[in-house]
Amino acid sequence: MPDDAAPLLEVTDLSIRFGKAPTNLVDGVSLTLERGETLCIVGESGCGKSLTALALMGLLPMPPARLMSGRAMFEGRDLLHLPIAELKDIRGDRMAMIFQEPMTSLNPAIKVGEQIAEAVRRHRGASHEEARARALEMLMRVRIPAPEKRLDEYPHQMSGGMRQRAMIAMALANDPALLIADEPTTALDVTVQAQVLDLMRNLQAESNAALIMITHDLGVVAEMADKVAVMYAGRIVEAGPVKAIFDDPQHPYTIGLMSSMPDLGPRGGRLVTIPGVVPPADAMPEGCRFASRCPFAGPDCAEAPPLSDFGGGHRVACWRAPLEQAAEPLQTLGGAR
Amino acid sequence: MSRPDIILETRALKRRFVTHKPLFGAPIEVRAVDGIDLSIRRGETFAIVGESGCGKSTLARMLVRLIDPSEGAVIYDNKDISKLGQKEMRALRSDLQFIFQDPFSSLNPRMTVGALIEEPLRAHGIGTREERRVRVADLLSRVGLMPQHADRYPHEFSGGQRQRIGIARALAASPKVLIGDEPVSALDVSIQAQVVNLLEDLKEEFGLTLIIIAHDLAVIRHMADRVGVMYLGELVEVGPVDEIFANPRHPYTEALIAAIPVPRVGARAKGHAVEGDPPNPIAPPPGCRFHPRCPYAEARCRQERPRLAPIAEGESVACHRHEELSLNGLVEGAAGRAPAAEKRFNLYRAARATSEGAKPSDNSPPPFPSNKE
Repeated sequence: MPDDAAPLLEVTDLSIRFGKAPTNLVDGVSLTLERGETLCIVGESGCGKSLTALALMGLLPMPPARLMSGRAMFEGRDLLHLPIAELKDIRGDRMAMIFQEPMTSLNPAIKVGEQIAEAVRRHRGASHEEARARALEMLMRVRIPAPEKRLDEYPHQMSGGMRQRAMIAMALANDPALLIADEPTTALDVTVQAQVLDLMRNLQAESNAALIMITHDLGVVAEMADKVAVMYAGRIVEAGPVKAIFDDPQHPYTIGLMSSMPDLGPRGGRLVTIPGVVPPADAMPEGCRFASRCPFAGPDCAEAPPLSDFGGGHRVACWRAPLEQAAEPLQTLGGAR
Repeated sequence: MSRPDIILETRALKRRFVTHKPLFGAPIEVRAVDGIDLSIRRGETFAIVGESGCGKSTLARMLVRLIDPSEGAVIYDNKDISKLGQKEMRALRSDLQFIFQDPFSSLNPRMTVGALIEEPLRAHGIGTREERRVRVADLLSRVGLMPQHADRYPHEFSGGQRQRIGIARALAASPKVLIGDEPVSALDVSIQAQVVNLLEDLKEEFGLTLIIIAHDLAVIRHMADRVGVMYLGELVEVGPVDEIFANPRHPYTEALIAAIPVPRVGARAKGHAVEGDPPNPIAPPPGCRFHPRCPYAEARCRQERPRLAPIAEGESVACHRHEELSLNGLVEGAAGRAPAAEKRFNLYRAARATSEGAKPSDNSPPPFPSNKE
């Protein structure tokens, strides 16, 4: 029986590598998540945020992916080392996933109501009628207009926002304890995105499900998250409560990412960017992976900095943090050069 | 008639597409762009914003005649370019250049980067072969790439670098107007910022007029001088960027601004999202096209279609109720940062400036990674 004091999900030292690649694409990722909590994993393409989510769901094809290390304890079981049959029992029941593009993740040949009902029948052993009633109830809960009619429609007959709602309905049909959403609103228009975010927040409050949300949009993070993990090139570089991340950012990558975003205030000149690009997987540095783009980098960054605690659960992987201390000697160093 | 500061103008511009031709009866049409009057001033950055299906990309393509209008006129340099013949249009193409959204599909994968950038020069018969080679090298360094990249192929570059190649190619023929259809929306945030800066630098350096199509309001806020808001094939509001964001006059503009996810904790008022999806452009609602989603709609809005009408210098709105409504702009506190964040941000900026001073080539991507050798 799961221990009530334990967190709902505890991921320790998750590392994933592809084929014969010399470096890990997800490298030593550790996360904890309590019931009802929302964790946003934020980062740019290739940072490993989606791989992390897929690995937790057991949806990563292995091979070519290889699990190098890690445990993911969820309700007393290790998701990463579970027999496939057991995993299938958990997936869609205790935990569920929402994907970015509902058009490609809903079955185009099956009616929407039937797809939702299938999840209920599979996990609850419900009868046909019971499952259909549950599907209808779910469509109402995600506020799809004319739900009775929509039950018998195919995904292509719905708009993008509606399909995403149907997807959420399917994911929540069995009251999962954990919901993983990978860029759930990225494909949607901004007004529809606002509706779907509001909906997800409301449903989560009702059901007390924990949510891991993968996103690249810091605006979405500020709106949804309790906790944030910032990933860069496969590693978590900074993590902590959402307020700490936005109001007291410590890692140069987090700061660079925030300053790269155009401000919503009156125009304030050029954007302060992060120079260069993410190093390719076959040229990943041994030490801090951000060092090649970091304006604060020095010789000691050739060694990987640990994720150290800065108080209140705010953890940062940077030798220079807090930057105020680092900036002074660095500037004299720069002047001497 | 056209005033000297107007470089590009559209009059009652329309474009219909046939979506379905039944065996009997009239073909089913979608009115993608349905009567747009727009004046772009010389040297400004004009942004067109709207959600998918609003016709913004169709409009952009008609401005350079990649798509022919069904009705109406596009006037550039006192000429209606929608009526020009092939040959005359070709001569004008060097003035009007286009940057596509997707840097992956808009570059011919079988041409080297050098040949891609040189192509417009060749097409317009500019320079000798040697002169063109020098120009290509110059353009590559202008957009933050390196001259030796001319011999590589597009697939060897990242998304951001490919967008730079697209920009170099658009600049090759020395255009006067550059039109970008979502030029940065396929890029990661850090790369997006590099390209936004690049476009602004180039605009300054070459004295360009920039027309940016985008759905990201933060990018528009940063880049644009004036903004046109489109909904379902129509312009619903046009105005200076500060006015649009602080005092929107059209309910749809208000809804768009209210929906921006603000990167500050607790900044956006939650639960105020406008209802419904954008309607089907094949069968737009009667009256004001926004009325089914508009919280302020009244009987008149359901019957009578409002026209875009000037309300102040440089501002126009298409709303029956614009005089009585007082709409909300961007929430207080959406801009700016917490003090600690601001301090770090300044440290970062200073460090970037120092490292850029030490390594002048820092703005360009690092030496290109040896490609799968």
